[in-house]
Parts: sequence; C-alpha cells; structure tokens
Amino acid sequence: MRDHPTVNIVTELDIVAARRLSRYLAKEIGFGVVDQARIATATSELAKNIYLYATMGEIIVEKLEKDGRKGIAITAIDNGPGISDPRKILEDNYTTSNSQGVGLPGVKRLMDSIQINSELGKGTVIRIEKWLE
Amino acid sequence: MNVNVQFREEGNRIYGVIEGEIDTYTAPMLREELEVITINKSSIIELDLSKVTYMDSTGLGVFVAFYKKVLKENAELKLVRLSSRLARLFEITGLSELMDIETDKKVEPANECI
Amino acid sequence: MKELKVQYQKVLSDYLLNQNESNLYIGQNLVRQLMKSNVSPEDLVSIHKQSLEYIVPDLPDSVLNSFDFLIEVMVDFGLMLKEHQSLLLKQEEIRIEMEIAAKIQNLLLETKIPKPNGLDIGMVSVPVRKMNGDYVHFMHDDGKYFSVAVTDVVGKGVPAALCMSMVKYGLDTLEYANNNPSYVLEVLNRIIEKSVDDSMFVSMFYGRYDLEKDIFTFGSAGHEPALYYNSKQQTFTDLDSNGLLLGVLPEMKYSQTDIHLSENDFIIMITDGVTEFRKMDNFDSRTYIKELAKSLNHLSAQEMCEKIFEYLNKLQDFLLEDDFTIVTIKKY
Repeated sequence: MRDHPTVNIVTELDIVAARRLSRYLAKEIGFGVVDQARIATATSELAKNIYLYATMGEIIVEKLEKDGRKGIAITAIDNGPGISDPRKILEDNYTTSNSQGVGLPGVKRLMDSIQINSELGKGTVIRIEKWLE
Repeated sequence: MNVNVQFREEGNRIYGVIEGEIDTYTAPMLREELEVITINKSSIIELDLSKVTYMDSTGLGVFVAFYKKVLKENAELKLVRLSSRLARLFEITGLSELMDIETDKKVEPANECI
Repeated sequence: MKELKVQYQKVLSDYLLNQNESNLYIGQNLVRQLMKSNVSPEDLVSIHKQSLEYIVPDLPDSVLNSFDFLIEVMVDFGLMLKEHQSLLLKQEEIRIEMEIAAKIQNLLLETKIPKPNGLDIGMVSVPVRKMNGDYVHFMHDDGKYFSVAVTDVVGKGVPAALCMSMVKYGLDTLEYANNNPSYVLEVLNRIIEKSVDDSMFVSMFYGRYDLEKDIFTFGSAGHEPALYYNSKQQTFTDLDSNGLLLGVLPEMKYSQTDIHLSENDFIIMITDGVTEFRKMDNFDSRTYIKELAKSLNHLSAQEMCEKIFEYLNKLQDFLLEDDFTIVTIKKY
C-alpha cells in the first residue's frame, strides 16, 4: 500500500490535498468531469471524518485494473475512536441529514462500493472504489 | 409546541419550572430534561406546573415514571401550582392519592392558553 | 441516455434560437423524462455544458469553468435528492407495515357487542391514528352475568397497541363474566405492573351486570368516571372510585360499588378522548355530554353513541386529538 500516493490528514488544508490527488488520478484514469467531482467529494468526506473525529490519519489513492476495466480506490486509515456499528452508519436517517456534509451513506452513493473495517478504540479503515463504465 | 424546564438548586432542594405543552410529541423531551437531575437521598424536588398550558395522559406517564425514580432514591417529589384542569387529571387517575400535589387557585384555566 | 442527451441538445438549441414559452414547456417535459431515468442534477449540468459547447463553439473559458464549478456544487444536491428518494421508499415500507399491524390489531381486539336479555348495548370506538389505544372488552357467558371493560392505554400508536394486546389476554384469562370488578382490576394491575416499563399505564373502568337482579357493580382504575342516568329522577351520577391507574404500583387494592338499574336508566362509559378538548379550555364536556345524552334517551344505545360521537366530533372541527371510545348500556 505504501507505494501508492498518500496524503497525511492533520490539518484542514490536507483535506484539500486529498481532494486534489483523487481528482487528478481520476482524470488520469479517464473519468469524466462529473465522476471526477463525485470521487473528489467522496474523498473529501473521508478526509474530513479523519480530521474531525480521529484528528490524524491518511488517505491513500490507487489506480485499479481488473479484467480490462479501470477504476480507482481510495482508502482512509485512522487510529480514531472507531465505529461501533458500521452497518448502521450506512443507513439514511435524520442524524446524517442534520450533520454537515453528506456522511457515509452519501459516500456510498457517490462510489460503486464501500468497505468499513473498524474496531472500537483502535481505529477505522474505509475503502471505497469506483469503476469506469 | 414545546416544553422546557428551568432548574434552580438550593441546598438539597431542587426547584423546577415546567413551561409549555406536554403531549405525545413533547413528553419524550420532558423525560430527557427530568433525567438530567441528579437525585440524592433526601433531596426534595419541587416542580411548578403553573406554566403548563396543556397536558395529556402521556404527560402523566412522564411524571409517574419520574415519581417512581425519585421514590427509589428515597427522595421527595412535589408537584405544585397545578391548574384545576391538570389537577383533575391527577385526581381521576388516582395519582393525587399517591403523589404530593398542590393546586393553585390563582391559576384560572381562562388565562392559561394565552 | 444517449438519446436523451441528443434531445436535450436539440431543445436547448431551439430555445437559444427562439425564446418562447413552447420551447420552455418542451424543455420541462424533457427534464421530467431525464429525472425518470435517474439523471442527477450534476449529470444534467454536465449535459447542459456539453450541449452548449456543441451549439456555441468558442465559448470563453470562464463560462466553461463556471459549469465545472456548478457540477461540483451540484453533487451535494444530487446526494440530497437520492437520500430523499431512499427515505421515501423506506417510509412506504413502514406505512405498509403499519397497515398490516393495524389490521392484525383489529383482528386481535375485535369486539362483538353481546345482546343480553333486558339490556341494550351500543359502542363507538375511533382511533386517532392507525392503531387504537382504547379497547372495549365484553363478556357474556352463562346468561346470568354480563361484564364490560373500557380501557385506555396511556400513550398512543404502536406502543399503546402492543400493551393493549396484553390487557386483552389478561382479561381473557379471567374467563368468566361473574368475577368481582375489584378482583379483575387487582389481577390486571399485577400483570401490567410486572410487564411494562415505568411510563406505561392503563386506565380501566370495569363493570359487571347481574342480569337477574339488575345490579351493576363497577370499579375503576384511574379511568374517566362513567355517567349513570336515573330516568325516574332525571339525574346523573358520576360513577367514580379513586382507584389508581393499572401498572403503577404492585399489590394495589381496588374498591367496587353496586348500583341498581331500573327501566330506561342508562350508563355511559367513556375514555378521556371523549372529554378532553385541547383547544377548548373552558368547555365543560361532561355537562355537555349529560345534556346531550338526556335529549337522546329515546334512541337506541348504539344510536346514542353514534350521535354523541357525531356532535363531539363536529365540536372539534372533526379533528380528534385522542382515541375516542364511548359505550352505552340501557336497561329496557
């Protein structure tokens, strides 16, 4: 994983760097403007979660290639408080619409897939993927 | 529609003034507000209901649950300044025999709703 | 999707040539179609940008960049829309579930009005929401006794309905109509006190009618007092007893009282939905119901209940605030 471009998230400025990186790679892979915007928004959201709730962590962006298809994967890793029930956090409810931003249900919608691994008190790894049509 | 409680503490006495309407929608809010109070042994809690403009049976439920909690802690609960309309609810339900309830003759139902 | 894009381009270029209402109308219809094929707001802005680039070549960079900016901003709107749609779906699922639950509740709590000799019985029970928090239970077994329970769960909706099923089965296990009201209330109080949480209670008016002696024995657990009309003296009496709500304290004792009914006397049992008028502070509903019932005495018990409901419903502009239940027993 360390070979892939990585942004450490410590300050709010790093969120912008993560957006920039994901958009740049998305464009290089061949995603259109709208999908670039979606990928950048999803990345932004993951980075913001790290900044707000874990204070420190990193965003890793990978190019994907499988069976002749191309895609992008973004992985967010933090050592924050963790999520007690990942399935629940992906459900739409009023708490997500009340809070700022699009939340994880939004991230899931912007991408093709989302995977959450979390351990309370240890941290969270979230990986999202999107494939070119 | 809203309900809120203002608390004031004097020694082991806690005074609360409840204001607003207590119905199915606001009863959970009231329950939460009452849960905040730390009840110690021998504390006396006095709730002023003169500013409650409406209450239905769900509101009664909140007070009974709170009363039971206070009882468990060996503390005391007093409901004061109830309008005649509210007092009637406690009377019909037999709760006035159980709980310490004081009505307020000064609060006429006519100027409650304004 | 491709086809729709081409259409959009055409409609847009028509409009740029001629800014009339008909082109706007066509445009709006097209957008509806686009929405149906799940085109998001950000997709639409992108389609617009591409169409414009095609129709008007050599657009300044600032215009094109502004569209990219708009796409970015629209992503959030698109998400909001999707979330809204998914919540609507969920709401529909819940609505269907509620409907089924209400049907099951109706089946479980179905009340058949018995026809004991010498008594005319009527009843109206209307829930304010889908599920009823009021319940009426009749028993009439060997012909010597008839009993009635009018109950109201504190609270409304689903929790009240669940609690009510328990009350029904509690009453069912008592089996016979000749039980003493005080005994019935004591047993139910024990059941409810054990099983429900601290803020859930039931009020109940329980009456047993001795059909041979015409004696009505009643007890009440925190319930709105029933009304007894003595037709000879033309007076009303509140059937009151200071019993506590069911489920508050264990081992409560309940008292019971006998009254004797003569021809044309009647008893009206109600829930607080009948007497509580939120918007009418100074209204003395019990006096109103008494006057009304007196004037309706020539009607059958069922007609009396229906008329009283009709009048009270009209008084509240047909906006019931609480479950409404009224039961009338007339001696003939």
